Amino acid sequence: MQVSLNWLKDFVELKKIDPKNLGLLLTSKTAEVDGVIEESSQFENMVVGLVETLIPHPNADKLRIAKTSVGKETLQIVCGGENLKEGMYVAVAKIGAKVKWHGEGELITMERAKIRGEESFGMICAGEEIGIDDPHAGPKDILDLSSLKPKIGMPLADLFEKNDVIIEFDNKALTNRPDLWGHYGIAREVAALTNSKFKPLDPKVKIPTSGESIKVEVKNSELCPRYCGLIIKNIKVEESPDWLKKRLRSTGHGAHNNIVDVTNYVMTELGQPMHAFDKNYIKGGIVVRTAQKNEKIKTLDEKERELSVEMLVIADHEKPVAIAGIIGGEHSGINENTTEIILESANFHPGNVRKTSVKLGIRTDSVQRFEKSLDPNLAELAIKRAAELILQLCPEAKIAGPITDVKNFKETPLKIDLNIKKAQSKIGIEISKKEIKSILESLEFKLKEKTTDIFEVEIPSFRSSKDVTIEDDLVEEIARIYGYENIPIILPELPTRLPIENTERFKKHRARELFSYALGFDEVYNYSFYGLKDLKNCNIPEAGHIKLLNYLSEDQTHLRTSLVPNLLKNFQLNAKYFDSVKLYEIGRTYKEIGEFMPLEEKKIGGGILLKGKTDEPFYQIKGALELFFKKFNIAVKIAKGVDNLPFAHPIKAVSFIGQDGSTLAQAFIVHPEILKNHDLEKYSIAMFEINFSKSLKLEKHEKSFKHLPKFPSIDIDISVIVDKNIEVEKIQKAILEADNSLITSAELFDIYEGQNIEKDKKAIAYKVTLQSIERTLTDEDMTQVQQKIFKNLEKLGGVIRGK
Amino acid sequence: MDGPEVESEYYNFEGLNIPKDHPARDMQDTFFIQDKNDPDHGRMVLRTHTSPVQVRTMEKYGAPLRVIVPGRTFRYEATDASHDTTFYQVEGLLIDKHISLAHLKGIMKEFLSRLFGKEVTVRFRPGYFPFVEPGLELDFSCLLCEGKGCRVCKHSGWIEFMGAGMVHENVLKAGGIDSKIYQGWAFGFGLTRLVMMRYGIDDIRLLSNGDLRFVKQF
Repeated sequence: MQVSLNWLKDFVELKKIDPKNLGLLLTSKTAEVDGVIEESSQFENMVVGLVETLIPHPNADKLRIAKTSVGKETLQIVCGGENLKEGMYVAVAKIGAKVKWHGEGELITMERAKIRGEESFGMICAGEEIGIDDPHAGPKDILDLSSLKPKIGMPLADLFEKNDVIIEFDNKALTNRPDLWGHYGIAREVAALTNSKFKPLDPKVKIPTSGESIKVEVKNSELCPRYCGLIIKNIKVEESPDWLKKRLRSTGHGAHNNIVDVTNYVMTELGQPMHAFDKNYIKGGIVVRTAQKNEKIKTLDEKERELSVEMLVIADHEKPVAIAGIIGGEHSGINENTTEIILESANFHPGNVRKTSVKLGIRTDSVQRFEKSLDPNLAELAIKRAAELILQLCPEAKIAGPITDVKNFKETPLKIDLNIKKAQSKIGIEISKKEIKSILESLEFKLKEKTTDIFEVEIPSFRSSKDVTIEDDLVEEIARIYGYENIPIILPELPTRLPIENTERFKKHRARELFSYALGFDEVYNYSFYGLKDLKNCNIPEAGHIKLLNYLSEDQTHLRTSLVPNLLKNFQLNAKYFDSVKLYEIGRTYKEIGEFMPLEEKKIGGGILLKGKTDEPFYQIKGALELFFKKFNIAVKIAKGVDNLPFAHPIKAVSFIGQDGSTLAQAFIVHPEILKNHDLEKYSIAMFEINFSKSLKLEKHEKSFKHLPKFPSIDIDISVIVDKNIEVEKIQKAILEADNSLITSAELFDIYEGQNIEKDKKAIAYKVTLQSIERTLTDEDMTQVQQKIFKNLEKLGGVIRGK
Repeated sequence: MDGPEVESEYYNFEGLNIPKDHPARDMQDTFFIQDKNDPDHGRMVLRTHTSPVQVRTMEKYGAPLRVIVPGRTFRYEATDASHDTTFYQVEGLLIDKHISLAHLKGIMKEFLSRLFGKEVTVRFRPGYFPFVEPGLELDFSCLLCEGKGCRVCKHSGWIEFMGAGMVHENVLKAGGIDSKIYQGWAFGFGLTRLVMMRYGIDDIRLLSNGDLRFVKQF
């Protein structure tokens, strides 16, 4: 919101203060000020000039050279203005001034220039180039100041009285302060902050005690706590005077006509939105009611609006004429033929105004104020102020009769008990009772001492409509005015207490260490969403997904049920820059399970990408998962194949099954079709997904000690050639089953295919360890076990090498 | 503590003293979930802050309480170099019998000084968040220019860091804690922003697009 310092001064006797410091003061005690802009700064290096001589430009038909006096010096300026003539007073932008070239685009800083070979020391400006209205100028005319009879060399800021300062508030910071949505309330705040005198507004207007008043019927008193209406006759609708237009413009409003401008002026001044109806259009009086089913209204912005039954409208006895607190109807508005008006100054229910505004998609200055919970008392002051201004602008106008005032609000002031000890304890410093009293009184609170520790505080109505309704609100008032900078820095003394363990988070860090440091994966963070295209590319059905109602892009519409789709996009991106990629992510998935809350599970997903066709990534992934489960002490069985993973290779895939029979993780080669969908057909990618939440539930916490072996072990190497399609698992089983008591482990150390081996065969080598807990093994033991192993392997069709 | 990322309107808003049709809802543009509605919990949303965990934790453990909640949060907000739909927040909550704003200043000064490895000053400004009263914004002294004013702190000498304040009595009530006996403060800051500041990262989107040329730098 833009606030004019000059306007504030109407209501506060502001001592001399640097506007920038006032901005900082407001930021530190009231609400964030985004900027403090001095209007005169826009007119820096701009002065009144007198064109002394004017000669044609030797190299350009449409340009002339003007020797222009700017007081102490005379400048040569090249100018294209058609109306330029000798003896004319003009606006000169000297070197360093900032102008808007032809009134468009960014500001340009004037520099010394040569234009078609002639030197030019500035610019003679058109109105639009320096933000001054010049309605009578032709398209190629410059601003003629002769009629103002200005002094040569006078700064333009002085000539146009650009001496205001605009303070820009961050609107969000004013959300809880309905009283600060107009200059009047801000002036009151500034008076308290700077210890200056506040000048209350007392409109000088005589409201007749009898005569014609508008009939008002409020049907929904809860939605309309107050409605003031006033008839004014003999109106002449015309352009507003300059002072009024200037104030509206400097605070970011347009100017329309005197009546509409007055309603906007009062809103900007007091924060109370107002509306003026053409009385001729209102049939039989005002009715404040909710809309009827299928009722429609064409609003001021020329749009037809369909209303629903909970929306509050202002109607006459035939039709709705405005949407209450939001926008007026098109036909009932003020036009140049209007002679009699009805002024409306009302108070509407903040929630209802907001709801209707959101539903219809209309956001106006009025909505912005009503939704903050305005003080109903403001309505009366505002209607009197508007009447005063209208009579000032249209001296022939006549107020027809008394103000119609329908009140449905509590007028007794709110009183809150303030416990001084409690306030001191919350702020953390013992602000004296005397100081607390003086702070609250500066903000127009009234205090009565109830007991030594308790004040009864009466809240002024402009604060009690929303912002100050409980004791803690008073604590805030005390703290901010006392000064947050004066609160000491203290570390609390607290008893030692052991934290509640968050095992999952702690284990997450361990998993991260394992994947990042031990296994050399890079960690990525992906979005929690993906889109339909990603589902399609990964062959994932849409069912079971949680969908966003509102979304920002087509690739963020569904909440992920798997980490894989986004990881695949990571591979797609990184394959451009790296030959091999190893990455993983720890994140949540979200699954619709038919209950209100979806199932959120923490997963670890990842994969390895290598160039060319190879199963190497798969073995690495499988090994990584084996290590993961071993390190977390979670017992798993590896089973062939995966269930319900549409993006996995049908055969080159394994599942890690927990002791309760549930799948804890899956490792797989990405299906060739899915690779193709991601333009990755030239790569091999194996991926995995661990259900981390589920896995941790099966974590074993104890390990039991086994006695160290007393007798030495014997290693035997076994190499066998088998059919290529025989799985390693089967061979391993054949070896282990050869002797349950002596074989303690069988470790695969080589798989070989190629030269010297038949085409459909592979050579597999194992290191088998034998040990007894009872005795030292003999050569005979070794030979016996070896023979049993050979026999088992030969049953699988194996040929033992070196036998 | 942890809490759900797909959260009910009740915990994300009402329980935090942000009723329906309250203008403060504009401050937090929200992603809503399709076809999810519950008479007690309202619609389902992607949590816009980590604050819902405040009420959840109060309900579960009561007072006194010391809680820290890092987590992923979401805003329905057009994306650019400094805004993304997804970011991380850290929520803190301290409730006991005599907890004051002076303690908040003390803890944050200590935390930030340790984080940056040098003495940091903090300041409070008034700020409005419906779930605290008094409500504050907390800034810390710009580390780059040491308070003299530079591009990073927009020539103010201060970095806007977080929202904080004394927990509103309605929030304590929602969490089942007696506000006549217990009081305390809560804060919430953007972890993502802090990371960006710490490493001079100028585009927030780099944090979630999985580009290893970025990831491998850390």
